[in-house]
Amino acid sequence: MAVINILETHGLTKTYPGVRALDSVDFDLAAGEVQALVGQNGAGKSTFIELIAGSLRPDSGKIVIDGTAYSWLDPPRAIELGILTVHQENQLVDELTVAENIFLYNLPATRIGFVDNRDCRRAADELLENLGIKIRSDRKLSHLSFIDKKLVSIAKACSRKAKILILDEPTASLDETGRKILFDIIRRNAARGLSVIYISHNLSEIFEVCNRVTVFKDGKKVGVHAACDMDVSLLVHQMIGRSSATLYNRDRSAAATENILEVRDFSREGVVDHVSFQVRKGEIFGLGGLVGAGRTELARMIFGMDPKDSGTLLYKGKDLTARTPDDAIRKGIGYLTEDRKGDGLVLGRPIFENISMARLAKEKAFLLKLEREQSETAEIAKKLDVKTPSIGQYVVNLSGGNQQKVVLAKWLFAGSEVLIFDEPTVGVDVGAKGEIYRMMDGLAKEGKAVIMISSDNPELAAVCDRVGVMRDRRLVTVLEGEQVTEENILRHSMGVGEGQRK
Amino acid sequence: MNETRTLKKESGLPKFTQSLVLIVIIAVICVVTAIVNPRFLRIQNIINIFQQISILGIVASGVGMLLVAGQIDISVGTQVSFMGVLFAMIIQKMMGLPEKAVPEWQLAAAVPLAIFSTFLVGALMGLLNGIVVIKSKASSFIITLGFQVVYSGAALLLSGGASYMLFGEFELLGRGRIFGVIPIAILFFLGMIAIAFVVLKYTRYGRFLYAIGGNKKAAFVSGIKTDKITLIAFIVVGLSNALAAIILISRVGSALATTGDSYALDSLAAVIVGGVSLSGGKGTAFNVFLGVVLIGLISNALIIMNVNPYLRQVVLGAIIIIAVTVGQYTGDRS
Repeated sequence: MAVINILETHGLTKTYPGVRALDSVDFDLAAGEVQALVGQNGAGKSTFIELIAGSLRPDSGKIVIDGTAYSWLDPPRAIELGILTVHQENQLVDELTVAENIFLYNLPATRIGFVDNRDCRRAADELLENLGIKIRSDRKLSHLSFIDKKLVSIAKACSRKAKILILDEPTASLDETGRKILFDIIRRNAARGLSVIYISHNLSEIFEVCNRVTVFKDGKKVGVHAACDMDVSLLVHQMIGRSSATLYNRDRSAAATENILEVRDFSREGVVDHVSFQVRKGEIFGLGGLVGAGRTELARMIFGMDPKDSGTLLYKGKDLTARTPDDAIRKGIGYLTEDRKGDGLVLGRPIFENISMARLAKEKAFLLKLEREQSETAEIAKKLDVKTPSIGQYVVNLSGGNQQKVVLAKWLFAGSEVLIFDEPTVGVDVGAKGEIYRMMDGLAKEGKAVIMISSDNPELAAVCDRVGVMRDRRLVTVLEGEQVTEENILRHSMGVGEGQRK
Repeated sequence: MNETRTLKKESGLPKFTQSLVLIVIIAVICVVTAIVNPRFLRIQNIINIFQQISILGIVASGVGMLLVAGQIDISVGTQVSFMGVLFAMIIQKMMGLPEKAVPEWQLAAAVPLAIFSTFLVGALMGLLNGIVVIKSKASSFIITLGFQVVYSGAALLLSGGASYMLFGEFELLGRGRIFGVIPIAILFFLGMIAIAFVVLKYTRYGRFLYAIGGNKKAAFVSGIKTDKITLIAFIVVGLSNALAAIILISRVGSALATTGDSYALDSLAAVIVGGVSLSGGKGTAFNVFLGVVLIGLISNALIIMNVNPYLRQVVLGAIIIIAVTVGQYTGDRS
């Protein structure tokens, strides 16, 4: 008898404006199988699981569950079919007990409608026992350790008769012991027929617990392998794939060795762990790593947005350490935040107001010089080639690339000498990406210190002279010259050192 | 969310459309009322309307600037009431009752002292509202709702439930007319609107109000001292309420603990009808002016048309609901 597939997808496709997030994916998951999904940021893993769990609708393709084909699912239907997701952040209620949390979706009630605590606890104990999880069901959730909360989340999913369990980064912030317990539970329940889709950035643990590995890249499934046939290197290689045609070629010849910016010992307990590096004159310094490695947090500290335990910023010998954004701007630091719309722009105001905002904040005058403001902001908008009929246009009406140029214009207009670009090309079309790279290059050549944070490794490899890689809140390496490759950035991001392979 | 370049309805249209809509509505009400009762168009009635809305307009100017920064102050009505009692009480205590003689210096000092105290208290109330809103990081609606009750109680405590009379003193501000035609109060109203206009359009501070109301986080990241600017806006509200209280008491000639209460709802209605977005970042002084005129007009028209005066509240509430709902559907939500 052939292996029964509990889940299959055929030609599953999802498109967003300008991006094909998922491109005709055929996938299969056997009953009792633990299958890993791997891929770089933006490879399509999240979109895929959201389609399976019903929170997104595919544009085309089929989802076949236990032999029945569906063209789309919604969350209640997915749960009814036994597809449950355990998210990276726990979605439990701290103030309730373990038992109450598990059965929150349908608490057992007495005849007159009160919660039947005894019944609830008995059912929870039975479930936990059955799953092999040793937690007392009457404990309040807030008293549990991190791993126990994770296990409660899994128990909650299983209580709804899960057939397919989707685990999204289940080991994030777990220590070794927690990991062991988790894997043990996964193996034990898989042996009894539970199928698991396992998403993790930690490649080595995949081999401990998974039967097969599916690799995603740029929205496509590029391979599926038995875990025993793979090793970490092969996986990394496939995640990167054949290097996509270079989108941009930077002239690196001009890079000097003179340091102009020193980031010295930035640290905050549990957020960023003693990070120091230098930026050289004329270079673009990249900061790579996985989402959550502490890069944005570091940028926010440098910019004075978040408190820090220690950290000094020196630019051409001057101390620019900032306590508040206001202080940072006065000292000549500019920060293009990753969330352009959230904290970069005032969307409902005109372009010129957005451009002049930071400069005005530095000035003292009571009255505005409207005419001068108009002509000067128009000039800088023109220089950066912001495409708009007029600078009185509301920013909300601009494309992503043009919005990003407005943010950049704001910092240049404020006279920033140190510029931190946080994911500057997210949501920006290909043409505008090239323009933004050229602008960053131009600024570096003018002698400004330029730092670029990006989760797009090919971008870092193509644009930056040197790339610092952060992992788990620490700067683990600074790649230079020939070392600056997509593969190296990814390896260090994931903690798979080159040494391991060679 | 979408990054299309097409113009969105509201934000892409030229700025005067909102004003235009208001002007049309105002004109329609005028025509209808004039048809029902031609007395409406008498110059005397027009001047009356303006005199009636002067105090509302002063309160609304402050509230409007605050709302541009994305904050609301529900306590303005009871602020005015409290300050009204304070103002009348100082004058009555200093000047004494009509039949009793008091020393010359006391007579001379009464009005300046009363004015000074009222402005001081106004600034303090604004400061208090602002500090609590900023420090608690709670919604200003809820916080100032609490303060509304506090100030209302304070006004009752201060007055002891009694009414303070001015006995004909200090009538000029509220009742005086220039050349016997134009009420002085109107000048203060127009003056406040003019100040709001200049502040919003031509000052750095005004620009920051829009930035904070439009996107507080972006304003903060751009180095704007968002807390300080917001605090000043609350103090400005307190000061304009002080001015309103003084003119109100001068006109009425006496103060009760509830004299100014209705200005909370009315000023909010005026500002919202005038198109200042509830979420902040939008609105002009001219539109606040039109909103005030519209509210005043509706009240006057209802009286002129012999409609049950209690209906006024119903109409006013309905206008707020309609204005906010319409605002929600024309792009405020982005």
